[in-house]
Amino acid sequence: MIKKLLIPIELGEAIEVRLLLWCKSEGQRLSAGDALLEFETDKALVLVSASQPAVLRHCFFREGEWMKPGDTAAWLSDEPDEPLPAEGDATAEELLVGFEVT
Amino acid sequence: MSKVFFREALARAISEEMEREPRLFLLGQDIAGHGGSYAETRGLFERFGPARVRNTPVAEAMTVGFAAGAAAAGLRAMAFITYLDFLMLGLDALVNYAAKLRFKSAGQLTAPIVVKATAGAKGQGPTHAQSIESWLMNVPGLTVLAPSNPGDAYGLLKTALRAPGPVVFIDHKKLFPQGGVVPEREELIPIGSAAVRRAGRHLTLVAHSYMSVLALEAAKLLAAQGIEAEVIDLRSLWPIDWEALTGSVRHTGHLLTVEEGQVVCGVGAEIAFGLRERVPELRVARLGARRAPVAASPVLEAYTIPDAQAIVGAAHELLRRAANGQSTNG
Repeated sequence: MIKKLLIPIELGEAIEVRLLLWCKSEGQRLSAGDALLEFETDKALVLVSASQPAVLRHCFFREGEWMKPGDTAAWLSDEPDEPLPAEGDATAEELLVGFEVT
Repeated sequence: MSKVFFREALARAISEEMEREPRLFLLGQDIAGHGGSYAETRGLFERFGPARVRNTPVAEAMTVGFAAGAAAAGLRAMAFITYLDFLMLGLDALVNYAAKLRFKSAGQLTAPIVVKATAGAKGQGPTHAQSIESWLMNVPGLTVLAPSNPGDAYGLLKTALRAPGPVVFIDHKKLFPQGGVVPEREELIPIGSAAVRRAGRHLTLVAHSYMSVLALEAAKLLAAQGIEAEVIDLRSLWPIDWEALTGSVRHTGHLLTVEEGQVVCGVGAEIAFGLRERVPELRVARLGARRAPVAASPVLEAYTIPDAQAIVGAAHELLRRAANGQSTNG
C-alpha cells in the first residue's frame, strides 16, 4: 500500500518550514521508530520518525527547500516495487509518524 | 537572493555589524545562552562572548538607560525589549536622555543605540500586544523603523546599527513564522525610504509592518473587483518618505491608511494630514484598531484589529463617498 508523509498542520502558528535533513534515502526501508526527516520552524527543530515500517520511495522536497504545513513531503510504500500513484493523488493513506520537538 | 526566517535576517544583520564595529554590544532579556525571545540572537553569544552579548534582568528602564549611557560614553548598543509594550518602562531614558542628547549638548554627544521591540497582536492580550509606534513618532530626535519582511529587516537594521542617534526598530510577532528573501551580498536600506509593493491607479494603501502584508492581500481582493490599489510600505515611520507618498497619491487621488494601532493621533493621522498639506484635493480615510485595548480573547482580538476584508471594505467606502461628493472620515 502507498502512503504519504504529510507535514503536520498542528505546528503551532508555523506558516512555512525549512527541510533540513532526510535521514533516509529513496529506496531505503524504515522500521517503526526510525528517524525520517528533520525540519525547522521559526522557533523549533522537529524530528519526524516513522511509527510503522515502510519503504521511502519518493521525496518531493530537497534539503534546504521550504514546505508548508499540509504539504506531502514524500511517498512511501509497504513493498519496494509497488507502483507509485500520479503526483498529487490524494487517495493514499497517511504514514503514521512521531515527532520530537526541540 | 536566499530565503530565510525573519529571525535569521536579524541575526545576520547584527552579526555582520558586530564584526564590522567592535564597539557594538547587545543587551536584553534572554539574548545570551537562550538566543533571544524569537531565536533572533541565536549563536551570537557563542560567537562574540559575554562582554558583547549581555543578559539583563526584567528591568527595561535599566536596559534602555544602560544602553544610552554606554553609547553616550563611546560605545554602540542594541537593546532588546521583548514586547513593545514594555518599552513604556524605558521611555524616560529613551525620550529624555537618548533622543535629546544631541540637542542638549549642541552636537557634542550622541547616543547611537538601537532599541528593538516586537509589536502586534497574536494572542497575548492587552499588555503584550500593543502597536504604539505612533507615540514614538512624536519624539524629536528618534528614528522609528518598522519593516514588514526579512529583506527589509536585514537592510534597515544594518543601517540603524550605523546611525548616529537613537533608533527604535519595531518588528511584529506575525512576521516571524514566514520566510522571506534577503540579498546574498551585504546591502543597506536607507532610513526614510518607503517601498511601493504594488502599483495601482484608483487608490493608495499606506501601511507598515504586518499591516503591509494584509494591505497586499487586500489589494489582490480589490483587483478581482476591478479596483487597482497601489500599496506603499512605509518601512520608516520617522523620517517619512513624503516624496514617495506624494508621488503615489497625486496619481491615485485617494488615500487609505492602515495600521494595527489606534487611529487617534496614529500613524495614519500624520500621513493623511501631511499628504493633504501637499495635495489638498486628496480624499483620505484611516483604518486602525477599534477604540479598545487589544483583547485576550482571540475572537475579540480579531474583531478589534483590521484584516484584509476590513481594508477592502474601507477602500470601497472611501471610493464610494468620494464619488458621491461626501466627506470622508480622514
